Amino acid sequence: MEPPTPPFDFPREYYFPAFFTRQVNLTSLRAQHEKWSSLILSYCAHHRLFKLSLSSPATEDLFHNRKLNKRLSTADAREVLDFMRKDGLVEDVGGGSSGGKSGEAGGDVVWVYWKTPEEWARALEEWVDETAQKGTVLTLYELTEGEGTRGTEFHGMDPEMMQKALQVLVNRGKAQIFGQEDQQGVKFF
Amino acid sequence: MFLKQIDLTTALRPSYLPDEVLLFVQDNVGLYEGKYKLPNLQNGQVYLTSHRICYVDKQEPRKHSVALDLKDVERYEFYAGFLKSSAKVTLVPKPPKRGSLQSRAAAVSSSPSNSGTTSPLPSSDGPFRSPSTGASQATAATWVCTICSFPNPVPSNFDPTTANAHTPLPPCLACGIKPALTHVLKAAISNVTSRQMTATGSSFGTPLPLRPGLDSSRNAATELGDLVQTNSASTTPKPTTPDTGAGFQCPRCTFLNHPSLLSCEICGAPLISHDVPPLPVAHEQPRTDSPGPTLNFGKVTGLDNPDSVKISFRNGGEKIFYERLKGSMTQRKWLLQEAPPVPNSSSGTDDGTGSLSRSGSGPGRTRKTAGIAGLEQMGLERRKNNEFAIANSFEDLEALMASAKEIVALAESFARQGNGGADSATSEANALLAESASQLGLITTKDIVGGGSGSGSENLYLSELARNLAEFLTDDSRGVLKKAGGIISLVDLWAMFNRARGGVELVSPNDFEKAAQQWEKLKLPVRLRTFKSGVMVVQGSDRTDETTIKALLVWLRDLHDVPPEREVAWDWQEFGRGVTAQDAAEKFGWSIGVAEEELEMAEERGVLCREEGIEGLKFWENFIDTGERRRRRRRTPTQTDQIIKALNDSGLI
Repeated sequence: MEPPTPPFDFPREYYFPAFFTRQVNLTSLRAQHEKWSSLILSYCAHHRLFKLSLSSPATEDLFHNRKLNKRLSTADAREVLDFMRKDGLVEDVGGGSSGGKSGEAGGDVVWVYWKTPEEWARALEEWVDETAQKGTVLTLYELTEGEGTRGTEFHGMDPEMMQKALQVLVNRGKAQIFGQEDQQGVKFF
Repeated sequence: MFLKQIDLTTALRPSYLPDEVLLFVQDNVGLYEGKYKLPNLQNGQVYLTSHRICYVDKQEPRKHSVALDLKDVERYEFYAGFLKSSAKVTLVPKPPKRGSLQSRAAAVSSSPSNSGTTSPLPSSDGPFRSPSTGASQATAATWVCTICSFPNPVPSNFDPTTANAHTPLPPCLACGIKPALTHVLKAAISNVTSRQMTATGSSFGTPLPLRPGLDSSRNAATELGDLVQTNSASTTPKPTTPDTGAGFQCPRCTFLNHPSLLSCEICGAPLISHDVPPLPVAHEQPRTDSPGPTLNFGKVTGLDNPDSVKISFRNGGEKIFYERLKGSMTQRKWLLQEAPPVPNSSSGTDDGTGSLSRSGSGPGRTRKTAGIAGLEQMGLERRKNNEFAIANSFEDLEALMASAKEIVALAESFARQGNGGADSATSEANALLAESASQLGLITTKDIVGGGSGSGSENLYLSELARNLAEFLTDDSRGVLKKAGGIISLVDLWAMFNRARGGVELVSPNDFEKAAQQWEKLKLPVRLRTFKSGVMVVQGSDRTDETTIKALLVWLRDLHDVPPEREVAWDWQEFGRGVTAQDAAEKFGWSIGVAEEELEMAEERGVLCREEGIEGLKFWENFIDTGERRRRRRRTPTQTDQIIKALNDSGLI
């Protein structure tokens, strides 16, 4: 939303040293996973990150509290992602839209659904409704980068993510996608 | 009173007198009075000590526990049991306020089972005990010559408090054999005690062979008159004639023996078996009839003078009990209890009081203050003194008994000196142990515990051991548990306990663990706890996990207000500080292992959470799971949220 991203307001737990250690107590562990998962979601939403890579510098801040000199280990972070995957909050990149039910240890790059494709689809639908563009054909580029979508939530959205959102609409029969790889267009009904 | 209510220790065992030694324990016994069962005293453990026989009830130990002093026991009999009737040991009390002579002279009857008589209560002849008896006893104590049985007067200048092996003793007036010191000493003491007894009017009597024969016989005639009266209503036949004023007629050969003799002088027939008390008690209370009639006494303590008390052994053990009882009746340790301490006391500090050191080293005394030489001199004298005491004591066993107290004191002081070489830290512990060892005189060993066979006696041993342990732990003077912060690992306790036993009668780890597991069952004030790692610890039963957690939380909360020693990255006012097991161990006085377990227990309960870092494992108050899952989707907690969270936190405590 805001092009010069203000610093993310980390929750209280982020400054709690024990937050970075995997808890042994199952109740605590679950609470910890939940807190981490909400932290990751809000962090990604704040920075408008659609893909999360455990090794990318963009997430360095998220898992590493420089002030405390504490870091959530990669293994523990993966576990958090596994936890989120079960809740449908993340999905492996390249794992297909079938979801990460394959059981394999999650890849290091995941889609973060701080809004699920369905939610995105609804947002798109509403926007199409509001701007009275039913029946018109829009290119994907127009949807994500075009002037018309400036100010909407999905402006600047990852194209692949947009694809996923559109796929939801297609399945519902609300849209149709056609065209070549690079030149895809979409028509809303 | 024959049966007395007794005090129990925290572990529900009888509290012992200072010199009392536990000899035997047997469970599943019941008490009878005469033929009749005593109510509420039908299932318990009997403790035979050197001084008493204690009964501790199993159901309500605090209410129904009684003891009888062995010194009040006139006679004891053994009944082996028949068909359904359990084996029993019958204890016949001494007739109160009466010398043993009279009872013996009066009633020579067959068995104590003649209880259903209506003879008057013996307490009724209380006023009969004239002061003159006491007065005459006070003036002339006698000792009976072991060789010729002649009763000699104890020399008037003989003072039991100062007498030692070197005190000159006059030989027997009849045969000229010099008596043993202990013999005269005992006679003198028994004289003193019987004098005290007269003065206080208490009912204990002197043991059989030491009774002052001459004086008693002087009064026998008059007392007998009373006795005849006492027994007139009794159904018991009285075969002996009451004209045996100065002696006791042998039932076999009719020789008139001296009353002090235990067997007939002529034919050797035992005389002691005819010691029958004058069948005193009449029970007006209604009773039920047959096999085991129960006595309907409201209070056991009200039993003033039962004609006999029977201990019924329903689980065996009667033979050993009887043997040990015989032993302790012969030893008469209770005399020792009142015996004056043997002079030449070796108590290290008051040096020079012993007559030996004074007489032996005259010049030493003159320069005893002179510096190191003086100290050395002092040490030398003390050693000499000790050497003498030891040599003296081991001269014969009788003498050892007489000087037992001194020897014990010596042994203790040796034990203390032995610890001198160790460094200061352990010497303190050793001192504690040495002290404990001496205090731990009453220990349960396998052989003092009876039982029928196999598992039965094993169980009894374990339960006794459990009680023993509980006493060891809760003893305030030792403070074993307190020193360890209220919690001690079983292994540490085992080591400490066995060390306290001084290397004898060690307890095997297996038995120890089994005994510890009995605590809960026996409702003792300590409990065994097993941590999830399998570590077993011992703690007071009032200490639960909740109290521990509470203590931990209070501590952690306090840390919110205490600035850390060095700069920390987190907000210590909000989160406090992580604590290691080491910190907790220091704070609460636990051992590290215990602290680890306690912290993990608290973590398991979700009260604490862990932080692993380069500094090691630290435990924090749980700020991760604060019970706010309902609101987890809210990303930025509002003011009210924080208040609710704070409330929640405090509510968690």
